[in-house]
Amino acid sequence: MPRRGCLGCSLPVLVGVFVIFLTLTVFGLIGGALGSSLFGDLGLPSWLTVPRPDPQLPAEEVFHLFGFPITNSIIAAWLTIIVLVGISYAVSHRIRLIPGRLQCLLESALGWLYDFCKEVAGEEYGRRFFPVVTTIFLFVIMNAWLGLLPGFGSILVTGAEGEPAHLLRAANTDINMPLALALVSFVFVEYFGIRAHGGFGYLSKFINAGQFFRSLGQLFTGKLRTGLGGMFTGVIDIFVGILEALSELVRIVSFTFRLFGNMTAGEILLLIAMFLVPWVLALPFYGLELLVGFVQALIFGGLTLVFLTLAVAPHEAGAA
Amino acid sequence: MSRWVASLRLVGVGFFIGGSIVLGVFAGLWLDERLNTRLFWIIGLILGIIVAFYGVYRMLLPFISSKQDRGDK
Repeated sequence: MPRRGCLGCSLPVLVGVFVIFLTLTVFGLIGGALGSSLFGDLGLPSWLTVPRPDPQLPAEEVFHLFGFPITNSIIAAWLTIIVLVGISYAVSHRIRLIPGRLQCLLESALGWLYDFCKEVAGEEYGRRFFPVVTTIFLFVIMNAWLGLLPGFGSILVTGAEGEPAHLLRAANTDINMPLALALVSFVFVEYFGIRAHGGFGYLSKFINAGQFFRSLGQLFTGKLRTGLGGMFTGVIDIFVGILEALSELVRIVSFTFRLFGNMTAGEILLLIAMFLVPWVLALPFYGLELLVGFVQALIFGGLTLVFLTLAVAPHEAGAA
Repeated sequence: MSRWVASLRLVGVGFFIGGSIVLGVFAGLWLDERLNTRLFWIIGLILGIIVAFYGVYRMLLPFISSKQDRGDK
């Protein structure tokens, strides 16, 4: 039977959807903050207008569990974990030779990540780093994408202190979550570095006083000129080691603020877009946020992978 | 070096500069507050800038050397 209309819909349905979209666009333009400031208050019903957004930087406490405050971002993180574990369980407990849709999606995503790890870190280390990098990637991307669903930032409950609090809030927009992820990434980088080079071998990257003491010894054996020159190089080596150690710490800060900043900015952008031109015209920003979530997850996982690769590389080649 | 590694390294540069300078200044301010001085924040700032330059140099070293290799050939 030939299909009428396009996109698999019949023509009346298509026209109906188009009319609804157009109506919502016009209402959004007139009823939003932008329209109100241009045309004045038109007396639209309250459900067509959007209240002024009130973004909160710190996460709000929803309730206390054994004395620990449970914030809305922790609940969102738990939700992410449940979704990821649920999907993994649903796919893995009945793996088929001819995959279904979900298995196919997951297999292609994991296959792509596996190839990515192997390409960056090589065959052997790629296989070892894959679980760490993929977990970070999937957690960050799922956090970001779940945060775009309706219900996040819109369901109000009574908070721990009795004031209204949002039930859910994208976990990446609470600075503690990016910090925790950055610390996890840092710990894994150091762990793999120490495993590859041994404790002393790895620490010699940061405490690099060998040249200095060798040259000091040369001074006492009478090689004054070589000794002094060597001591100068030794001092530079020590300083470079300190810089290495500091740049290792700076990584935690830059990891944290990159993810936190991008995700929080995205959330505020969405709030402002929905406030200015609600309904339809804010939709492109949701598309943008889907992309930003993917890119941030890729950067977080990918940079962890790059630093893991650098940590296990021989020291001389560490810079390469 | 694959394109992935190259692009990821370049992505890391910007926030690394910001992070190292901010961390240096904040560590200096914290020390100033503890010791009641007004000197350490400048030291922290300078150290942060040095770490930023050194880190960026390390991150960009592969690009510089690979370009030189190509030039030699």
